[in-house]
Amino acid sequence: MMASLSRRTLASAFARSFMIQGSWNYQTMLGSGFAFAMLPALRRLFAEDPEAMRDSVRRHLEHFNAHPYLSNVALGAALRLEAEGEDGDTVRRFKTAVRGPLGGLGDALVWAAWLPAVSLAGLSLLWLGAPGWVAVLAFLVIYNAGHIGLRAWGFHAGLQEGSAVGQRLSRASLGNLTARVRAVSAALLGLLVGAVLAGRGGLGAAGPSWGVVAILAFLGGLVIGPRLWRPTAVVLVAAVAFLATWGLMT
Amino acid sequence: MMEVLRLSLVGGLLALDATSVGQFMISRPLVAGLLAGWVSGDPPLGLLIGALLELYLLVSFPTGGARFPEGATATVVAVATAAATDGVGAVPLAVALGLVWGQLGGFTITWLRRLNGRLVPVPDGPHPEAVTWAHLGAVGLDFLRGVAVTASGIVLGRVAVAAVVRAWPLGARGSMGLLLVGGAVSAGIFLRSLGGFRRRRLLFMGGVALGILGARFL
Repeated sequence: MMASLSRRTLASAFARSFMIQGSWNYQTMLGSGFAFAMLPALRRLFAEDPEAMRDSVRRHLEHFNAHPYLSNVALGAALRLEAEGEDGDTVRRFKTAVRGPLGGLGDALVWAAWLPAVSLAGLSLLWLGAPGWVAVLAFLVIYNAGHIGLRAWGFHAGLQEGSAVGQRLSRASLGNLTARVRAVSAALLGLLVGAVLAGRGGLGAAGPSWGVVAILAFLGGLVIGPRLWRPTAVVLVAAVAFLATWGLMT
Repeated sequence: MMEVLRLSLVGGLLALDATSVGQFMISRPLVAGLLAGWVSGDPPLGLLIGALLELYLLVSFPTGGARFPEGATATVVAVATAAATDGVGAVPLAVALGLVWGQLGGFTITWLRRLNGRLVPVPDGPHPEAVTWAHLGAVGLDFLRGVAVTASGIVLGRVAVAAVVRAWPLGARGSMGLLLVGGAVSAGIFLRSLGGFRRRRLLFMGGVALGILGARFL
């Protein structure tokens, strides 16, 4: 079935998937990036029929959105469907069906759990006194082990399962994995807070009054939530500007 | 001049990583800070500013169509500005500049995405194969956008910060305290997003105890 697509062609599609967001836009979102990633395979599949290739590129240019890493699930499955000669409407229906779940699962697992967890691990290492390059290297290696692993797994699962990839996604229990990463994140956040409170150059060194203000700020974030982020940035910038102006005047 | 050019190219490359190419997270402030510090000749300063901005952006991610502060160019601008300025006020002023520039960088991403909508071939257009050049062109534009955002931030930031840094009234400890207060808000927001203190109290407080012990004895 997939004999028509060589390893090299599949590797090319996988490599291109790292640029899937390169032309992100408000009309088709990932659509053009998806078509860009599919193109080497489509050229090979429809080498004898340029008009069929154009039709295929057109359907992959249409609106599509998902988490960029998990979009590889749809990419692998779409390659299989095209290689099997499925009709255009089937491919379209499949992409429409998976885009929502792939976006929701990916955002929850990667952006809201994996990235902050590894970021907290890197910051904690730094604040506990590890050399800076060690903290940064640890962040990059751990994060990308998960990142590249997820992309490769998704692409492979899509290629293997085709339109039945949803069952594979269910078996993978990405929701449970997300819950476990979030639990670890709570401990890592505590580790960082403890290190900043007691570490050299942290809040302990800044003095008790700054420590009290920081605890109040932490509680504010805890009670009010994300709505407080932008006002905090504005207040901080305003405070710095005020202090600098005050220094100039006195 | 050459240093500004080098840093702007670094800013352009790191901006690409945020969404367009790779997303290996070399664009996160923690990594961007070390890289910018290395190019500016002061890696520890870069790491300090990168860690502070990472703490601020802990709850900000490049999700879908949302507008988000651009951490990569903001960090390069902040580090390049602080590295060129003497005085205790260099770090807080540079971090504040980074926060402002991050927001401006976010606006430029929105503009570029609107422009991309006009660049890429429409699905029912006559030449769908043109997607390769349109896509690579959009990536090139994102790189140029990152370079321009970084270069303008460094040039304006260095002038502005140099003008006021000597008047900065707080000492080193007070400056760090002020900056960490902002980071504490992000930490609180993140704990809430994990389910709140009640639900996570054992893990969170266990982590706090370990962090205090680690900071004391490591």
